[in-house]
Amino acid sequence: MSTAITGAGPGAKTRIEYDDTPVRQFMIASIFWGIIGMLVGVVIATQLGVWQANFATPWLTFGRLRPLHTNAVIFAFVGNMMFAGIYYSTQRLVKARTASKLLSRIHFWGWQLIIVAAAITLPLGLTRGKEYAELIWPINIAVALIWVVFAVNFFWTLARRNEPSLYVAIWFYIATIITVAMLYIVNHLSIPTSWTHSYPIFGGVQDALVQWWYGHNAVAFFLTTPILGIMYYFLPKAAERPVYSYRLSIVHFWSLVFIYIWAGPHHLLNTSLPVWLQSLGMIFSLMLWAPSWGGMLNGLLTLRGAWHKLRTDHVLKFFVAAVTFYGMATFEGPLMSIRSVNALSHYSDWTIAHVHGGALGWNGFMAAGMFYWLAPRLWRRPLHSPAAANMHFWLGTVGILIYMLSMYVSGITQGLMLSATREGGTVLAYPNFLDAVTSTKVLMHVRALGGLMYLVGFVMLAWNIWKTARGAEAVNGSIEVFVPEKEKGMGIVAGFLNAPVIYTTLLFVFAAGWAALPGAWSAMCIVGLIATAAMMSMNFEFSKKGWSSWYDRLLVNALPFTVLTVVAVFIGGLVQIIPTVMVNTAKSIEGVRQIPYTPLELAGRDIYIREGCYLCHSQQIRTLVGDVLRYGDYSKLGESIYDHPFQWGSKRIGPDLSREGGKYPNSWHFFHMRDPRQISPGSTMPTYPWLYTDKTDTAALPNKLSVQRKIGVPYGPMTDAEIQQDCDKQAAGIVADLKAAGAEVPPEREIVALISYLQKLGKSEKVAPADAPKTAAN
Amino acid sequence: MFHRILVEEWQRVLSIVSITLFFAVFVIHFIRVRRIPRETIAHMEKLPLENDDHE
Repeated sequence: MSTAITGAGPGAKTRIEYDDTPVRQFMIASIFWGIIGMLVGVVIATQLGVWQANFATPWLTFGRLRPLHTNAVIFAFVGNMMFAGIYYSTQRLVKARTASKLLSRIHFWGWQLIIVAAAITLPLGLTRGKEYAELIWPINIAVALIWVVFAVNFFWTLARRNEPSLYVAIWFYIATIITVAMLYIVNHLSIPTSWTHSYPIFGGVQDALVQWWYGHNAVAFFLTTPILGIMYYFLPKAAERPVYSYRLSIVHFWSLVFIYIWAGPHHLLNTSLPVWLQSLGMIFSLMLWAPSWGGMLNGLLTLRGAWHKLRTDHVLKFFVAAVTFYGMATFEGPLMSIRSVNALSHYSDWTIAHVHGGALGWNGFMAAGMFYWLAPRLWRRPLHSPAAANMHFWLGTVGILIYMLSMYVSGITQGLMLSATREGGTVLAYPNFLDAVTSTKVLMHVRALGGLMYLVGFVMLAWNIWKTARGAEAVNGSIEVFVPEKEKGMGIVAGFLNAPVIYTTLLFVFAAGWAALPGAWSAMCIVGLIATAAMMSMNFEFSKKGWSSWYDRLLVNALPFTVLTVVAVFIGGLVQIIPTVMVNTAKSIEGVRQIPYTPLELAGRDIYIREGCYLCHSQQIRTLVGDVLRYGDYSKLGESIYDHPFQWGSKRIGPDLSREGGKYPNSWHFFHMRDPRQISPGSTMPTYPWLYTDKTDTAALPNKLSVQRKIGVPYGPMTDAEIQQDCDKQAAGIVADLKAAGAEVPPEREIVALISYLQKLGKSEKVAPADAPKTAAN
Repeated sequence: MFHRILVEEWQRVLSIVSITLFFAVFVIHFIRVRRIPRETIAHMEKLPLENDDHE
């Protein structure tokens, strides 16, 4: 049986066979990679309590496995799940078979190849050093290309649809496709130094802002909007009743899409990010309460009159728990974005509890519910064991609760201990950072147990679906449809050049001008505002056409709808990023300028990034009493302007390293990296024996320095020989110093370069305003 | 004008513009959805419930 839609004229009745092969493929891939990602999660959770679990092996250390865990869960587990849900629901909502089987195949196999490439490169230490954006540049290009293939296949399917209206789930998918593309491209702009290494074009505060604009919206548009689309399709299906309020879903969509993009700076509260940006991030995060809870309630109330089904229906159990976790996580997120709450929660395990509520509760349970619903339909056979599915639900739920509770206790303990002072706030109550580590060590074991329970639940799901599909015939769904009369599309020109859009734009421009411009310009803007309102009123009075006719047409025209979604998400990005690029002036580097790294220090920095040190050590002293007492004066913008990528970090499993340079002798670092517990009893840091045997890659430095110059770091001209001489000279000094302290090592070893970098941290020069660079990028 | 009191740096006006924009978007959509005909809503909300031969 195949699609009969081609050639059928308007009004004809025809049977369509959906292409469910990609749905099955993505579902199986999601389960497989999900188990791998969760297993790595259990391993790294164990490493935090038992340092020996790092096995003194480079590719098994926490710093290299943690990016593998996050990337596997986000892009492999949730990514594949999202594609399965989108391919299944889109075909049915638009009553058309997926446009191209070939593009579906390229999408599936391309995405799996990307995941395999990530699983190989990340443990090898090939990374860009930015969270959730670690993959090296050739893989970034592959991701962008495969995303375009997905987008073409999706929009092509919409163009061939037999249902004129676009259900709200489709809106969420459109927003996902467009916004993820925009975020991914901007945050991955880099200049390569080799086939496996590059430096991002942004540095310091710019890089921090772009990274968290991306990082926050990866959560928003990769882990939330597509899954909300899936919720709006699969939850009514499972409950066998329409969504509680379709009107609410429309308000939910537009307000969520419009607000989410602005909230990124809440990841940088109390840092050296300009205060106005911090306030903007906080305000928009608080406003997110409204749409998030609107969506959550809309999901839960869809079960009105069907709550009794929860007792027996395993699919609904997963969906309801998932939506509840969504509600909890989206209540907690804005709460943590309040600066005073963030002072306690940030850099602690509280954040880890929060993200796992979202990932395990919302994403993981939505995935499980969807898979249990899909499997019997995709293989036309009842689920092998509903009892096992029920057990999976309870094992997973208890696992999440154990995990989250342990991380709340750990996070709040860490936050309180590390900020506690005595004697009128002049002395730290716990001056040794390790006090917070040892106090919470037992909770790391509890967290690993919770994660293990969740993983076992997913292994049960894999077994259950395998038993359901084994020996059964894979079948595609089919449906009879009437081919509708084709309406003439609105077109992109008419999408913009019409009265409502023109009047709205004028109103916004004049309102902004009135607020921002001085004197006569401001008065002119008020006049403009009144004139526009009057013209608008007359226009509608005489034309007898309301805004609604335009809006109704927009909702059935995918292209202009997509463009307006881009505009909605673009405004938030532009407002944050353009001023940040422009604020790098004498005033905002706060009279301090970073001294660029020497070639050896740069090589050491790349080793630091390769080993994922930024995942446990921040380089940002916040404007908080506890931070300043512990680490010194708060970080200034100018202190990291040449850092490509920035290394402010997001979690402190170890202390901040912003001012590490000169704090301890070279020998301290030498012995500490070899055996951290020799220097710091109770430390959970891995050992790094390979740094004492592997040679520093100085041959790559000429290319690296050349790229650093291009992105604005003021290196003078140096020949290859001069670079090598500079490295040799600095290494010889460190080696001589180490020898005097009883530590012998050849100068070309990686530990020497790493020590040179660590000893440079916090070194800056005072700058008079007139001498300050106009921009960091030039 | 209020911006002379509140706005010390030009970037700060962006917070005001942003909130104004958000409320405009929110209010416009709220009004708009209230005016969507009942039949349209009934059609839209039934779209996921149309079963194929799988279901």
